[in-house]
Amino acid sequence: MGTRVLAAELDKLRTLPVIGFTMVGTVLTGVVIAAALAASAAAQGTPSTVVELVLAAVPFVQVGIILLGVLPAGHEYDGRQIATTLVAVPDRARALAGKTMATVAVVGAGAALSIGAAHASAAIAAGVTEVTLTADRAPWRLAGAIAYLAVIGLLAHAVAVAVRHLVPALVAMLGLMVIISPVAAGLTEHARWLPDRAASQLYADTDALLTGASGALVAVAWLAAIGTLAAFRFIRLDP
Amino acid sequence: MRVAGPLVAELRKTLTLPAAWAGIAVVVLGSIAITVLNAVTTRSAIDAGTPERVANTSAFEAAFAAMPLGTVGAVVLGVVMISSEYAANSTDAGGGRQITATLTAMPRRVSLLAAKATVLVVLVIAVAAITLPITAGIATAVIGGAGTETVTPAQALMRGLGGALYWTLTGLIATAVTLLTRSGLIAPIVLIANSSVVSVSLLLTNLTPLAHWLPDLAGRRLFTGVDTVDGGLAAGPGALVMAGWTVLLLAVAAVVFRRRDA
Amino acid sequence: MPAGRARDRMVGMLLIDQLVKRHGTRTVLDHVGFEARPGRVTAFLGANGAGKSSTLRILLGLDRPDGGTALVGGRPYRTLRDPLRTVGSMLDGSGAHRARTARDHLAWLARSNGIARSRVGEALDQVGLASSAGVRVGRFSLGMGQRLGLAAALLGEPQALVLDEPVNGLDPEGIRWMRGLLRDQAAAGGTVLLSSHLMAEVADVADDLVVIAGGRIVATGTLAELTTGYDRLEDAFFALTGGDAGAHR
Repeated sequence: MGTRVLAAELDKLRTLPVIGFTMVGTVLTGVVIAAALAASAAAQGTPSTVVELVLAAVPFVQVGIILLGVLPAGHEYDGRQIATTLVAVPDRARALAGKTMATVAVVGAGAALSIGAAHASAAIAAGVTEVTLTADRAPWRLAGAIAYLAVIGLLAHAVAVAVRHLVPALVAMLGLMVIISPVAAGLTEHARWLPDRAASQLYADTDALLTGASGALVAVAWLAAIGTLAAFRFIRLDP
Repeated sequence: MRVAGPLVAELRKTLTLPAAWAGIAVVVLGSIAITVLNAVTTRSAIDAGTPERVANTSAFEAAFAAMPLGTVGAVVLGVVMISSEYAANSTDAGGGRQITATLTAMPRRVSLLAAKATVLVVLVIAVAAITLPITAGIATAVIGGAGTETVTPAQALMRGLGGALYWTLTGLIATAVTLLTRSGLIAPIVLIANSSVVSVSLLLTNLTPLAHWLPDLAGRRLFTGVDTVDGGLAAGPGALVMAGWTVLLLAVAAVVFRRRDA
Repeated sequence: MPAGRARDRMVGMLLIDQLVKRHGTRTVLDHVGFEARPGRVTAFLGANGAGKSSTLRILLGLDRPDGGTALVGGRPYRTLRDPLRTVGSMLDGSGAHRARTARDHLAWLARSNGIARSRVGEALDQVGLASSAGVRVGRFSLGMGQRLGLAAALLGEPQALVLDEPVNGLDPEGIRWMRGLLRDQAAAGGTVLLSSHLMAEVADVADDLVVIAGGRIVATGTLAELTTGYDRLEDAFFALTGGDAGAHR
């Protein structure tokens, strides 16, 4: 029974043109940025590794992932489709669960494809532009990068469900991830407890206190908090 | 008198949009919050005798750290002024879009766009005029004479004005992009991300010096007095280039708007 | 036999019982109660803002009432499995996202309720949108959007139909088609509840009337009962809702 809701949600995403465009755009971003980073390293003569180049592209790719995460819930409120959805699936917990799983699928696919494409692009570009390549230390960080992007995408989904508007949710997530977070990091070490900073330990080794595992836990706690608020709004309140 | 009517109408329209106020609130309240955080952190570092923990102990710098938020607010205003025209009502309310009423009331589309642009400029400058003195005041009050002030009041004023100009031009670019694409998604993604650490333009400067002529990079010196980007345009020429981009995009948007069906 | 028939009647019946809804300090619905019975077309009449849409939204599980119940076949809408196969509804035009095609919109709806994919094409044929199946909903006219909403309501071949202003935006041919559709549904034993403020249409198609004004039910009964002593339904309506002085004999 639950698979029907998930299948319907995936149908919705498959037939919404902007999802396809965003997916392609996110993958292309990974490719282009990784290549640009490689060329940049070559131009400046700094040694690097293919994995490092890919990881440096992650903050750029996360912009597209944020949009992918906001759209499944956000597009329902961009118009009045939310009423149609709730009339078709009045068991709201089931409806939200299905929508969340579909978002995970789309965000996960976007993350995996982008990182994969960025890796290929970085490898090719590094060869073409003759970057000084040192040995790759930890290729498993690529998996961490995919996990990080999935967390960010889910966070965007939770914000979209809580906010119930498409563009405001997008602006809020973007503002938090690319402006507030770096500014706060420059001001205080406590910024490590922000969800994206903590989750970034999944692929970066920059924090003294948090590891990949503990950073992921912090991010999951944030997800649970925002997700609970969002779920309450969705399930209990009038649309 | 013919100019005042449409201007006041657009001003009222924008000021009665909840989303516009949300954008303004983000700038004002967010900037205050960041300034307080920054100033308190700086002050405590000074008091603890470890001023080297923070980048610098200038009160003005503490206030300026919040400037990127103003870009977000300006983009929100620019997007919302256009997207609110194209949002469809429920069929209960007639299923129409505001653009129909707007264009039947003001059929001269270039004048309409000019009115909207003027309102955006006025609002962004007003927000800057409120936010920047308040944040500077808070930072000065908290840090006071304890910090070493590296920014003279004259420099602070220039940077404040430069920042306000950057906000305004970015907001106008957001208006043009949203009008051209009729999507409220593209302007935030491109403009908010690009004016931050995830700047594609900045990355491109490593590959070609031409990237310094992109609008957000050209205007970067307006923001920061300190040289963060090598080889870029100085503040004055940069402002001109950014303004040039803004005018170009608005002009393209105006032409397309005129020829297109509503 | 009588018990079985009573049970059959329960299955199709839409029951609104003492519904209360407040928005802040304003009471939108004040102990609203009525029935829509199977085999009959029930028209829900009222001015704009009288509470028709609020009632229907609560019936369909969208809004929560502050008091009272709304039941479909004896159960709240939210407890229905695959509700679109029991109750087809149209509340607000097409209810579709503007970037999707009509066909794709009905396709996900069908999938969500286990309705066969072939029903999508059939429903589009039934409402006359077959040639526009691949058109983005954003390009639809008001009438086309209404038709799409109706196709969504008919998709699951439901026993009951709940329609809010269904003839809004339809051309004369569409209005006549709608009248036939509703009467056929009732004749086949189905339940039809439609809200409207178009007196002429209601007079042609309704069996039972429920009149609401200011959040309160002011009259219920058959069309014949309520229009006794009046020239037209319109006169009866104004008299019942305290409108103009009325022109009754």
